[in-house]
Amino acid sequence: MSRATDEFFAALPARAPAVLRAPVTGTLQIDLVDDDHTDHWLVRISPGRAVVERAGGPADAVWSSSADLFERLVTGRAQGVSAVLRNESTFSGNVMLFLVFRQFFPAPPGVRDPRETAREQTGRA
Amino acid sequence: MQQRVSILDGNTFLVCDGRGDVEPSFDFPTGLFSFDTRFLSTWLLTLDGERLHALSVDDAHSYQTRFFLVPGEPTHYLDAKVSMIRTRSIGGNFTEELTVLNHSGRETRFDLRLEMGSDFADLFEIKHQRPKKGRTSAVAGDNALRLTYRREAFHREATITSSADARVDQAGMTWSITVAPHCEWSTRLTVTPIIHGARGEDVRAITALGAARGPSVIRDEQADLVARAPQLGCDCEPLAGAYRQSLHDLAALRYESITLGVRLLAAGLPWFMTLFGRDSMLTSLQVLPFLPELVPPTILMLAGLQGHRLDDFRDEEPGKILHELRYGETAGFEEQPHSPYYGAADSTPLFLILLDEYERWTGDAALVKRLEFAARAALHWIDSYGDLLGTGYVWYRSRNPETGLENQCWKDSWDAISYADGRLPGFPRATCEIQGYAYDAKRRGARMARLFWNDPEYADRLEREAAALKERFNRDFWIPEKEYFAVALDPDGRHVDSLTSNIGHLLWSGIVDEPRAARIAEHLLGPRLFSGWGVRTLATDEGRYNPIGYHVGTVWPFDNAFIAWGLSRYGFRDEAGRICEAMLDASRFFDGRLPEAFAGYERTLTDYPVQYPTACSPQAWSAGTPLLLLRVILGLEPQGEHLIIDPLVPEGMGRVELLDIPGRWGRVDALGRSRTPREHGPRH
Repeated sequence: MSRATDEFFAALPARAPAVLRAPVTGTLQIDLVDDDHTDHWLVRISPGRAVVERAGGPADAVWSSSADLFERLVTGRAQGVSAVLRNESTFSGNVMLFLVFRQFFPAPPGVRDPRETAREQTGRA
Repeated sequence: MQQRVSILDGNTFLVCDGRGDVEPSFDFPTGLFSFDTRFLSTWLLTLDGERLHALSVDDAHSYQTRFFLVPGEPTHYLDAKVSMIRTRSIGGNFTEELTVLNHSGRETRFDLRLEMGSDFADLFEIKHQRPKKGRTSAVAGDNALRLTYRREAFHREATITSSADARVDQAGMTWSITVAPHCEWSTRLTVTPIIHGARGEDVRAITALGAARGPSVIRDEQADLVARAPQLGCDCEPLAGAYRQSLHDLAALRYESITLGVRLLAAGLPWFMTLFGRDSMLTSLQVLPFLPELVPPTILMLAGLQGHRLDDFRDEEPGKILHELRYGETAGFEEQPHSPYYGAADSTPLFLILLDEYERWTGDAALVKRLEFAARAALHWIDSYGDLLGTGYVWYRSRNPETGLENQCWKDSWDAISYADGRLPGFPRATCEIQGYAYDAKRRGARMARLFWNDPEYADRLEREAAALKERFNRDFWIPEKEYFAVALDPDGRHVDSLTSNIGHLLWSGIVDEPRAARIAEHLLGPRLFSGWGVRTLATDEGRYNPIGYHVGTVWPFDNAFIAWGLSRYGFRDEAGRICEAMLDASRFFDGRLPEAFAGYERTLTDYPVQYPTACSPQAWSAGTPLLLLRVILGLEPQGEHLIIDPLVPEGMGRVELLDIPGRWGRVDALGRSRTPREHGPRH
């Protein structure tokens, strides 16, 4: 398992109060497939709170992808909905959990605040 | 222009020629589509090697067509010994019953052939031609043909089966049949579009979505929806016809979203059979008084997909409401940004307007409370990322120069926003109607904060901000020498000075200072904007005016409905009535189904509204138009727990009764009658 993925899960409880603001509750299972094995993660989501466990188990929704794709998602180099549309990752169960969870995924590396670029360009910076 | 026949069920639809055939087309979406992928691009019938032509076509239903055909080309003298009937319907799957009728007195042998094929084009590959990156294959089986497409894990399939024995090859099926004298033969073809998801299963099967339904189920669903809507009784047949057609079209445009498992409204056939933020919200505003239950799924879906990060490719920012969500290959492989695309500067304020308006009608406070965070994030977007230049206005400028939209307002074609002399302004641009929406959104946000979020301080702040925006706007956008509001500010804050229909939306938002409203109403109904059939998008004397230009001279029914609402709001009831009348007159020429747009020619010049060549039809917000016009005519406005009914029926329209209008009051009736009846007909 990559360090970025480990760090991502480790940081979820601390980030939850800022990210999980919608009244959505449930358990999301994340299956990360490497060459020969699958890592299971369970994230229990409720408003302001995320509890992470490295295990499989009963879940309201399951997200499945390669470990490599997931690392790209948690570093902002891939985007979740398009990954599902091209079937590189799959999803089943309560879709609201995924829509809430995807808010933990960061912006692409190096992205700039559009206000800065617009103001620079018009000489208002 | 070639006649085309369409059937649809949600976002699965088929577009063919007048005899039911589909020939490969790379510039127009003919064929069978589902979730933005073409599953059939060839579907071509011959009888003994000859094409057929239609004697008549029965297309009274949105989901079913019947073609009556004879072999050969049309001639004056027709003595067919054989004819055919193609009866087809759509409902998740596409089915077609082919019947051969032998009219001769002897047993006859026929060779019937149906060419079949699919290029699995993504809708955007038809708009912008591109070679496919994946691999297609065709496998002939027992009375079945399987067409498949694979690109990495992306996997689509069309399975075609025949109920009668057929010789199947990779390009179609052939039936060699013998039909007794005065007898008939038939086979039933079923085309199943399959979207493979997890473990190769059909996404629609594992999510219990879009399951195949027969025509009788669809008919019942549509009838149920129509039955739930208020009953209209009126003397004006165009109004009655348009209302009936609208309800049926709205029913047909509902589709089940793969991503949320709810029924949403597709925007328009054939290009826009998907979720658009702006279209779905403006349509929701139109249908609220009639079918409020259609609205929450749209609101929830848009909130669920609210922007949460900066993403230049998708023009995404935290708090922003999406513009367009697609399900096809180009979205999946990020060749197009619609996963979802956020390139709209008006969808975020419209989201707040819709949420508040929904509560005002239904009293569903729970939804407003549930979406408090999403609504606050939207309000925050208006003042943060929306205000790109920090000048107190909402601006837009795409960060995706290749596949993003230049214009991120409802007039989103490249040349839609221009100076009077025809030049195009630079970016960013701040169009006027978006400032109106922002004003309205803040006022409605204040109401929600006070009543449902227990935050009176925030409510006060939003009201102060709204008042300041109104003052600022009336100072900065007003062109004193022309006496109307500029369509936009350019990046230097100067007026983009053409006269446009956008000023009508300003009345709807309430941002126009009262003393100026009469002048705006005069412009809207004046000869430069008003064609006699409606308000043009751009005035006739502007540099880029073109009566058949998509956003630069055509008349858009939905635009007119919101303008009528705006006029009515400022007390210009007669002017609003004239627009309602003009729209309903126009609808008669489209069998009650108002198209996306029609040409801006002067009414006296053409006597009928000239169809815009590639207009989408049915189109959700055009289907919603007669509903909003009815609201305007009857003066329906929720106030507290009651519905205000203040009818002003245009002259000659006679009696208008709307029974069982649903809302927080239960159901009430609205009755109106025009003062001086006269024969209803086109005005010259």
